[in-house]
Amino acid sequence: MLSSTVLSYITFAYFASFILYLFMMVMGRDFFGRLATYLTLAGLTIQTFAIILRWVESYRLGIGHAPLSNLYESLIFFAWVIILLYMIIELRTKTRTLGVFVTPLAFLALAYASFSPGIESHIQPLIPALKSNWLIVHVITCFFGYAAFGLSLALSIMYLIKRLENTQSTGIFLKLIPRSGILDELNYQMVVIGFLMLTLGIITGSVWAHSAWGSYWTWDPKETWSLITWLVYASVIHSRMVRGWKGKKISIMCIVGFCCVLFTYFGVNYLAGLHSYAK
Amino acid sequence: MTKSNTEKNPNLIWGLFSSVRLTIVLLIILAIVSILGTVIPQQQDALGLAKQLGPRLFRLFQSLDLFDMYHSIWFRILIGFLALNLVICSLDRFPNSLKRFRAVPKPDRSKPFEHLPSEQTFLTEGNLKGTSATVARFLRSRYKKVRNKETQKIIYFFGEKGRFSHFGVYLVHLSVLLILIGSLLGSFFGFEAFVNILEGERIDAVALRKEMATLKLGFEVRCDKFSVDFYENGAPKEYRSDLSFFIDGKEAKKAVLLVNHPVQFRGVTFYQQSYGSVHRGKVRLRISAPQIGPEDAAMEVEADKLYDLPGGEGQFSVRDIRDNMMGLGPAVLIFVQPKEGKETHFWVFRNKEMVKGRLPLPMARSPEFNPSAFNPYTFFLDRVGTKYYTGLQVNRDPGVPMVWLGCFVMVFGFFITFFTSHRKTWVRVSGEGDRIRISVAGTSNKDPVGLKRHLERLVNDLRNRLDEKRR
Repeated sequence: MLSSTVLSYITFAYFASFILYLFMMVMGRDFFGRLATYLTLAGLTIQTFAIILRWVESYRLGIGHAPLSNLYESLIFFAWVIILLYMIIELRTKTRTLGVFVTPLAFLALAYASFSPGIESHIQPLIPALKSNWLIVHVITCFFGYAAFGLSLALSIMYLIKRLENTQSTGIFLKLIPRSGILDELNYQMVVIGFLMLTLGIITGSVWAHSAWGSYWTWDPKETWSLITWLVYASVIHSRMVRGWKGKKISIMCIVGFCCVLFTYFGVNYLAGLHSYAK
Repeated sequence: MTKSNTEKNPNLIWGLFSSVRLTIVLLIILAIVSILGTVIPQQQDALGLAKQLGPRLFRLFQSLDLFDMYHSIWFRILIGFLALNLVICSLDRFPNSLKRFRAVPKPDRSKPFEHLPSEQTFLTEGNLKGTSATVARFLRSRYKKVRNKETQKIIYFFGEKGRFSHFGVYLVHLSVLLILIGSLLGSFFGFEAFVNILEGERIDAVALRKEMATLKLGFEVRCDKFSVDFYENGAPKEYRSDLSFFIDGKEAKKAVLLVNHPVQFRGVTFYQQSYGSVHRGKVRLRISAPQIGPEDAAMEVEADKLYDLPGGEGQFSVRDIRDNMMGLGPAVLIFVQPKEGKETHFWVFRNKEMVKGRLPLPMARSPEFNPSAFNPYTFFLDRVGTKYYTGLQVNRDPGVPMVWLGCFVMVFGFFITFFTSHRKTWVRVSGEGDRIRISVAGTSNKDPVGLKRHLERLVNDLRNRLDEKRR
């Protein structure tokens, strides 16, 4: 299928932008940064068209549905949202240093989708349980949440790396990373967006489960793990809003939170449950 | 117990439950124990693990309710603690928020203007009266209520936005309570049950999932028809039950039940959950062979009974009947025992053409899938005498509207908590030589970056407005 071929090429585009962002960070040359931005933007544009193309292809096959129905399609969408959110941040804050920490996430998601032998990249028809308008809302909200948490992970790692900087250090890499106050504030914004989206994802999932399986909450492993993730980020928000925690503690909590996201996304597949079609 | 002690005790409990540190600890404990429940198989799935554990470990797990953790007393107590914690935290902090909501700051406060950044103040031409009138009109277009105070040389204005932002967090906490109350309502006044109904048959009771008991519905349900549609690749496309509901034997409603489209009748909701089939009646086969003439021999046979081949070379039997063999439709497994020689067996599909196109080549060539495997006979399958039953999930949950209300309030509360802030703005207009100085200051309960942007925009717009006025 044309769409999956195109999508596998975009993997390399994002890898190349990662390398360019890295060059920018190590050599301190803005030229590489600009090149990386153009390449990432081009990748995002082509990826958008490829996703639309996949949608069209599914209709040509007579089994038309939004390309959000299995692990392959969700990984593609995940990478797309990460890059989209990153581009918005880059344009708004006018700093490119986050790129070197974020592009690997998108690259890895696409590489896993395109080159892992266990992942079915063909367009499959929807089984009855998935035939619902809630599918689109549920998947979109969840993955915007996951992606925002992914950016929060990148910002947390940046924060912890930035702490290594001391007055004598001469590395351009550390110097180029923005002030830790900015990182902390941006990280908090990402956590808030992610938390809101995850909440919406859980709610839409509940509404859907209620009409498909008869119960809005069944303690299925995926549901439970999404709740665990929700609880972790709820405690991040409480620690910061009420107890005024900042910086290192919050960064570490965000890294733990993203581990929960990863487990909700991938780890749960190794446990039995109702979300088996997401394998 | 002394008097002071009894007085002190409630304070101690209040002190404990009004701490956000407890909230964070409870959230993390809940997260960690929830992990346990996803690792230890729950409810019906627990049987496998139970066999591996020794009897003593099993008894320990059992007594801790680890096989049905999420419904255990201790898990509910944890959730109860969290609920109590958020109620007391909210009650503890609410008066303060109310005070901030109601507070009426004086327009002529000077503290906000201390250390004013240079971009928040500017000089303009004009007289004090005219300029302050323009400023007043401008501010009234931006804020609902603008208070001012005039002294001889200085005129102060005060406006504010988003006072309600102090209540967002209480809405979120309320929403958690609503969801918990909704789930309690469901577990006290609702039920979860299931029932299998054979096509053409009626039921008036369902099996409860928790109590191993049956529950009379007070009406009857008949499954008129059940059908499954498949995609070309064999994956299921749609499960459909045609249901009829009867009250006192009279038909009250007909409905089509699909996955994702439940049917409600008298407060009870029916969900398409599973299906199955029982083999009722006979399998209709046709058998062709040169020695029995040009006409095929048609036979109605039952499973596992021996029949003579039409030509008399031996006997055959139907050993297995499948409604949907490998996604390729109905098929039967036929064993042929000739009078001399070895027994052979092979599958016969109803839809021969489809099988030819879809079966992988090595399989299509293997005798297992060749209906002519027993030479010179060829078997055809005309009809499989199966009857479907539909498996329904049958629920009543009066707590659901409450849960949805809670979800709605939660999202609404999030928007208020995260995306609104209580911004207070002071504007000072004063004479400076023959010019007028305008200073803008502000405070906010959160989002300092947003406040700065808000003030910058305000200063810009105000300057433009004054410039326009002068022209």
